[in-house]
Amino acid sequence: MLMKIISKILLALSILLCSSCVTEFIPKTTEDQEMLVVEGLITNRPEAYAIKLSRPFHLGLNNVSHPLSGCNISVSDDKGNSFIFSETAPGTYTSDPTKFQGVIGRIYTLHISTNFTNNVLNYQSVPVQLKPVPPIDSVYYEKVTFTEGPDGFPSQQGAKIYLDTHDPANQCKFYRWEYYETWEFRLPYMVPNNTCWLSNNSDVINIKNTSAIAEAKVDKYPLTLITNSTDRLRERYSIMVYQYSLNEDEYLYWEKLQNISEQVGGLYDIIPSSIPSNINCIDDPNQKVLGYFSVSASSSKRIFIHDNFAGVLSQFNDKTCIADTVFGASNGPIAWLGVNVWVIINHTAPPPSYRVLTRTKGCYDCTVRGTNIKPDFWVGDK
Amino acid sequence: MKLRNLILIILLLATSKVGAQEKYKLSGSFKDLTFKEFVAKTEKLLPVKFFYKDEWINELKLGEYPDCSTLSCVLDNLFKGSALFYVIEESGNIVITNNYAVKISSLPVEKDNKFLPPSDFSSLSETQRTAEISSVEIGNPAEKNNPGKAAVSGYITNKDTREPVAGVTVFIQKLSLGAITNEYGFYTLTLPRGIYQVKFSFIGMREKTLNVNLYGAGELNTDMSSVLIPLKETVISAQKSVTLQRFEVGAEKINMNSFKLLPTSMGESDIIKSVLLLPGVQSVGEGSAGFNVRGGSADQNLILLYGAPIYNSSHFFGFFSAVNSDIIKDVTLYKGGIPSRYGGRISSVLDIGAKEGNKKEFSGNAGISPITAHLSVEGPIIKDTLTYDLTARTTYSNWILGLINDPSIHNSRASFYDFNGKITYDFNKNNKIDLSGYTSHDAFRFKSDTTYRYNNNVIALKWRHFFNSRLFSSISVNNSSYDYEVSSQYLQTEAFVLAHKINSTGFKADFNWFLGRNEINFGLDLTRYAINPGSYLPYGDSSVVAPTRLQMQRSWEGALYIDDKFLINDMLSVNLGLRMSSYFDFGPQTVMIYNPEFSKSTSTIIDTLNFKSGKVINKYAGPEFRVSLNYRISDKSSIKINYNRTRQYLHLLSNSTSISPTDTWKLSDYYIKPEIGDQVAAGFYEVFSNSFEASAEIYYKSIQNMIDFKGGTDFIMDDNIEKDIVNVKGKAYGLELVLKRTEGKLRYSIGYTYSRTFVRSISDFSEEMINSGKWFPANFDKPNDLIITFNYIFSRRFSISSNYTWSTGRPITYPVSTYAMYDEVLIHYSDRNKYRIPDYSRLDLSFQVNGNLRARRLIHPNWTFSVYNLLGRENVYSIYFKKVGDLYTGYKLSVFGRAIPSVTCSFDF
Repeated sequence: MLMKIISKILLALSILLCSSCVTEFIPKTTEDQEMLVVEGLITNRPEAYAIKLSRPFHLGLNNVSHPLSGCNISVSDDKGNSFIFSETAPGTYTSDPTKFQGVIGRIYTLHISTNFTNNVLNYQSVPVQLKPVPPIDSVYYEKVTFTEGPDGFPSQQGAKIYLDTHDPANQCKFYRWEYYETWEFRLPYMVPNNTCWLSNNSDVINIKNTSAIAEAKVDKYPLTLITNSTDRLRERYSIMVYQYSLNEDEYLYWEKLQNISEQVGGLYDIIPSSIPSNINCIDDPNQKVLGYFSVSASSSKRIFIHDNFAGVLSQFNDKTCIADTVFGASNGPIAWLGVNVWVIINHTAPPPSYRVLTRTKGCYDCTVRGTNIKPDFWVGDK
Repeated sequence: MKLRNLILIILLLATSKVGAQEKYKLSGSFKDLTFKEFVAKTEKLLPVKFFYKDEWINELKLGEYPDCSTLSCVLDNLFKGSALFYVIEESGNIVITNNYAVKISSLPVEKDNKFLPPSDFSSLSETQRTAEISSVEIGNPAEKNNPGKAAVSGYITNKDTREPVAGVTVFIQKLSLGAITNEYGFYTLTLPRGIYQVKFSFIGMREKTLNVNLYGAGELNTDMSSVLIPLKETVISAQKSVTLQRFEVGAEKINMNSFKLLPTSMGESDIIKSVLLLPGVQSVGEGSAGFNVRGGSADQNLILLYGAPIYNSSHFFGFFSAVNSDIIKDVTLYKGGIPSRYGGRISSVLDIGAKEGNKKEFSGNAGISPITAHLSVEGPIIKDTLTYDLTARTTYSNWILGLINDPSIHNSRASFYDFNGKITYDFNKNNKIDLSGYTSHDAFRFKSDTTYRYNNNVIALKWRHFFNSRLFSSISVNNSSYDYEVSSQYLQTEAFVLAHKINSTGFKADFNWFLGRNEINFGLDLTRYAINPGSYLPYGDSSVVAPTRLQMQRSWEGALYIDDKFLINDMLSVNLGLRMSSYFDFGPQTVMIYNPEFSKSTSTIIDTLNFKSGKVINKYAGPEFRVSLNYRISDKSSIKINYNRTRQYLHLLSNSTSISPTDTWKLSDYYIKPEIGDQVAAGFYEVFSNSFEASAEIYYKSIQNMIDFKGGTDFIMDDNIEKDIVNVKGKAYGLELVLKRTEGKLRYSIGYTYSRTFVRSISDFSEEMINSGKWFPANFDKPNDLIITFNYIFSRRFSISSNYTWSTGRPITYPVSTYAMYDEVLIHYSDRNKYRIPDYSRLDLSFQVNGNLRARRLIHPNWTFSVYNLLGRENVYSIYFKKVGDLYTGYKLSVFGRAIPSVTCSFDF
């Protein structure tokens, strides 16, 4: 934390001294990319748990996933049970929820074996106990104004989402949260698929250490900030937050990962090095493993936001959608132009009747971007 | 002529021709005049000048000398029966000596009567000089037949600079007996009465031989001239030093005058920046805090000001030195061959010598540069006895930041100030007391929610006492502290103040004792440390932060040392030193015991030990040997070899490439063993007659028990730091070559260093291994380093100087691949320090104009125009990686990425 502050001050000072001296580059490196990346989470939720295996990709390349297929995965517990995970999508191995559900207090171990070029390698995690987690007290939001509009009217607004929790037993000191956002969006035209829902996973690791605070209490933890650069807040928005309790080792793992993942390499930044995983290769200790096998009970909370936020734009509007206005025409390809067009406005009365065409299918059909199946939890409100 | 009171030195040199006594005729009566009145009268009548010490002539009264018509006759009569002797030089200088007489054995060469500046030897040939051997009589001739030995002592000074010359060999071939001068240029010898040839030799100085007729105890002071041919310019600036005074292999002395000529980065002369120009000294980056000496980390340097350690040596994260250069007299860096009186750090000692106030009159200096303004005043409170020297410096950068329109900068604050004061009291000839104080303060505010401050405070009292001409002592007590405080109000409920402090109190007694051919130094060095490793307290009423205070650390470090500089013959001397170093740390303290089968972590704690207040938790002790050998091949070249061991109980915890002001100090404890360094070095030095000198030094060093950290650890407010620490050991070796010319209009220095520094983690656990436990280059491993400095003095008013630096880029750990977990993109790194940043190269230029030379003018302005990084090269200051979207991109930042001109103006008054 402190190092980051210093880094920032220095950066500010340096830029002050020399404003045009930052140049971008991608270092040329010659490293082996054949490492195993493991993402695995076992909870006490009655659902299928997923373990994902992949390979890292070279720095500077876009996040194209390199899933690792054809491995054998199982999880064993301290009672001598073993649960097989089967590959349901490339690199994603899932458990059978009818056979396996995490139990608080049990100790679980992950086993992986890879078999490439006839070289079998066995990996095993450190045994991890499934610890209980307190419920989330509340998830709430505050309206934030980014810039004032003319005449003092706010013109750019967003929502900052916070979380409060505490452990009545004063046991849980380290937390991790994940969230799952869903929002409704509508196309501004009278088209068959007009209303859809879109979902997104959190892509930032949210952790908190409460050991410096008198009570094991998290007060107003800022989970995420929704700006008006997306249409999340335009209709109705919902966020589902999952809370996990971590042991100190796992907390330190995520903290170290964050320390070296934000801004790194500078003179006053923490010298990075690989963060040891809790998974090791039994057959060849030189094989590096990235990632972590997490085991935790989980609690969750969902809230909805349906409010007026100034300046929230729709992804779809006349500017981005309308290609032309014609008299006649219909959905389908226009052969002589070699393009597809869709009718988004079919005006009949009062005459003259005309049709407004779009060349972006998303303006005509919301399922291009989301799903038109209303989620189960999408109840209440309107 | 105030000089006559000061001069203790007898000009025994070839130019001081004796034999013209008869040309000074005197007539009239001087009866009942005091000697002073006689001198005043004679100097009016005749073109002569007298040199003597007041205390010798206080009792003297002139009598009636009817038969005398010459000056020499009057003096002969006057001094009859006293221990006083005199010599009249051709130039008209009459030098009075006590206890010994001066004779010139060879016949004087007839020359015209014109006064020659004493140092102007350029017209004399080598043969002329060596042919003449002066003859000296010491002691009262009446004691000639007394039994026993007689002691001879004296001071050797540099003829050009009037500074004492340390390390001169005084040797008597006939007896195979000799002595070496100490740092005050003092030596002493005890000899049987008789006639001897005394040879004075020192590398870089012309060898000198005197014929001595020893009757009894007395003083033999002399001066020696440099082998370098001094030009007139050096005569004018009397303080200019020929920095040939190398006591040991690996000791470097920086003189303030040459230092002030160096080009500056932002108009500030800066001591640490000039230390970086010395071979074997490196830093991780330009403008970074700290420096690395011969492969040692930045906390392994002992920086002494007023004899007290300074715990943070920089302002502005390293852009400026914390010590104002206005107060500095000279600076000595011991990078090898550390004398046994210093200890507690492994790599080097940087001893900053502070100047004393002007004893005669008030004077001052004020100046401004683009970043700072400074003022210093000095003068006597009681003339010649009690003096003061006060210096202050501050920035006006807050004002500049306020002018910038960017809100994050506009609301930021960055400023510092420092203050130095020194009072010196010369009781009498044998006692001298200094009281010195220093404080420095830095403050930053980033945006408007995080404030950050740090301070150095030093106070020191020193008493120097001369028991007799053979035994000196220096006794001092000091207190030094460093603290920082970070407060943040970014979140009202979690607003905090984080603080750290180290405080040390030191007592030091040093003795310097002459015993014939031995010079013995011995003493005691005691330091008490108290460290608050960290406190984390709520800030404001709405904060729910639980106040946390880490356990205080308390300890004593004590050492007894003795060393003997022993002269074997006139070519060979050895210095054998031993420092017995010990360390104790005390409770109250709680120590965690970990399961030894696992790497230490919170989950492997198996027991807790509680130590009560005052109970000794750990004792660490051991001998440190400091040995050096100096073989003088001729008066122009020598070879030195040395070995030394050093121990360090205090560590700076830093897990960034550069040290930063928020790094915390940590004392050795249950888990952190003292660091131990061993260095072997050898050097060859040669001075060429055409006024340049060359040296070559090699060294090998190994360090045990260094500290590194498990990957990614941020250990602020961590009570059990041992679980984050990785024990590492280091090795370093290198070659340092220097060719320089320090005299004349054109002066230059070319230094090339090849050095390597490697580190290796020692652990049984894979998570504590860095690069699988293999040797890897240290953060400051920069194999090639070339530094060229040059200056040209056009005249007393104008000079130009320049320096050029080129070095290999420092090692860096690059991110090499990215991967995703829970949709977050993360990075994976290469092996530690596998790659390097680009090479560094920079050329600076500066031009000095020393305003007006008229002595009557009240104010003398001095201007310095300098251009830093003249070629505008975009040297990489820092390389960092940032996530933009889901993509990591590297950025190269160059702070001084273009030529930076600056103007500094200062006034002497």
